[in-house]
Amino acid sequence: MVTRLKKSWSKPTRARLSNLPASLLIGGGLVGFLVCVALLSFVWTPYDPITIDVRNRYLPIWSDGHILGTDKFGRDVLTQLIMGARNSLFVSVVSTLVSLVIGTLLGLYVAAAGARLQNIISRGVDVGVAIPGILVAMVLATAIGPGNAAAITAIIIWFIPVSARVVIGPTMQVLSQDYIEAAFGYGRTKWFVLFNHVLPNISSIIIVQASVMFAAAILIEASLSFLGVGAQPPTASWGRTLKEAQPLMEIAPSLMVVPGLAIVIAVLGFNLLGDGLRTYYDPQQARKR
Amino acid sequence: MSALVGSLVVFALLRLLGGDVAYILLGKEATQDQVIALRIELGLDRIWFVQYFDWIGGFFSANLGTSFSGSYEIFDQIGQRLVPTLLLAFGSLFVSMVLALFLGTYAALNADNTKGIATDIVSQIGTAIPAFWAGLILVVVFSVSLGWFPAGGYVPIQENFLGSLRSIFLPIVALSLGITSVTTRFVRSAMLDVLNEDYIRTAMARGQTRNRAVFVHGLRNAAIPVVTVGALQLGNLLAGTIVIESVFVIPGLGQLLLSAVNGREVIVVQSVVLVILLIILVMNFLLDIAYGLLDPRILDKRNGA
Repeated sequence: MVTRLKKSWSKPTRARLSNLPASLLIGGGLVGFLVCVALLSFVWTPYDPITIDVRNRYLPIWSDGHILGTDKFGRDVLTQLIMGARNSLFVSVVSTLVSLVIGTLLGLYVAAAGARLQNIISRGVDVGVAIPGILVAMVLATAIGPGNAAAITAIIIWFIPVSARVVIGPTMQVLSQDYIEAAFGYGRTKWFVLFNHVLPNISSIIIVQASVMFAAAILIEASLSFLGVGAQPPTASWGRTLKEAQPLMEIAPSLMVVPGLAIVIAVLGFNLLGDGLRTYYDPQQARKR
Repeated sequence: MSALVGSLVVFALLRLLGGDVAYILLGKEATQDQVIALRIELGLDRIWFVQYFDWIGGFFSANLGTSFSGSYEIFDQIGQRLVPTLLLAFGSLFVSMVLALFLGTYAALNADNTKGIATDIVSQIGTAIPAFWAGLILVVVFSVSLGWFPAGGYVPIQENFLGSLRSIFLPIVALSLGITSVTTRFVRSAMLDVLNEDYIRTAMARGQTRNRAVFVHGLRNAAIPVVTVGALQLGNLLAGTIVIESVFVIPGLGQLLLSAVNGREVIVVQSVVLVILLIILVMNFLLDIAYGLLDPRILDKRNGA
């Protein structure tokens, strides 16, 4: 009865949109824009991304036909940027999703396991969190050669302990509730309880974590391809575009500014989205911050 | 202990996925006999744990042999390159923690007005700027345009102290930017909690101004989360150092690691990675000590008092 009353009193959708946290709206907008651009690259780009046009090298910003100018091979910078968005999102989506699934399963399992296993695994998780992702990537690049595969695998290895650690605490909290005991008493198996009762209760934490991890993955991908350990030519990548622009900073400084701004916008978008989601799910906790 | 576990993991990863180093070094035209001969020469034909103990023993007895390409002594090389990396890492950690403490306090004291919100926005953007891009922009502005600082390279500290500071100033600024921004946000929320504490109200009731109460009593309490976040940021810090060395062409561990990755110098890679892990552990230990100094209650709890 109460809920029905509430429903009839609630305002129409447009008014509620403005009640959402500003960071959620801005972040969501930036991320949405990024995704659209990356998807667009599959059907259309302003120019062909790999065709070399020697006559039109180093065109400045706002040139005819090349809004963001061209690079040292005469390739359109805007096209490189769009293709870079695709690579950046590809790497971060694959690595984040895989590590979230594995990390969450690991976290759920550890939280429901006995104290001894918990001690061993959480010690291991602590060590894993301390190892920088870039180091893992360097080791992998030595082993399997540089490229997107090394970058993605490294980010996954780095993220699994991170996401497991985020899940363990809240899972243990939920597991101590009475209704969990009731479910076990009803004869439910461990994994049934974990999936049907625990997971929905911690899903907001996982979603916020995913957003933060997307941002971190984009930063790492850019760093790795800047170092030459990530995506290899001809795959366009923001980090590598910056690396190629570094020796040209006196002739064509705009080549260096544009991809960097793209990285900042992408990371800012996912960070804000994460912040906004956190406020949205837990407004009281967020107000204290 | 965790360093040893780390060294085993790194070693295993490289050996499992590594492919045949001898084959890569000799190139595709190598005959089978040449490959086998080189493997014996490099000691790659032995069982894995013999190789492991050979390496880890050499690591701690300062004898890692020469690189596969034969151009340098690995241990000496690591020793030479340790100093610039340590300068960068510790310098940025110190700069960013002090800066974050003050910026975060400032943001908390001004939480309700535009000054505080502006600090929030700047720190939010600061976290999104990759250190290497910040470095590139700094070089364009302060080296190429203004000519205030060298665009790259490193002057050893024993040769020219001021020149050395000048050569690592921009890299430290670039590295500190992100870490300062992240830490500032934590200081701000910690400071907001501290401002509601009774002891701040008591101090103000005794006639101290709000700012004095905050600086005398609040800052030390707000510094505790700085140490916690600092410890969590160590991995990022060292990762950033590797990238920044590449931007400013500083001959540190990161550059050594990068060239070793490209040359598939397995022993160099695993040794440098181990050194970096050890640096992280030592910094962690130092922050742990700082923890106890800032909040004696933590020591009491540990000693069971």
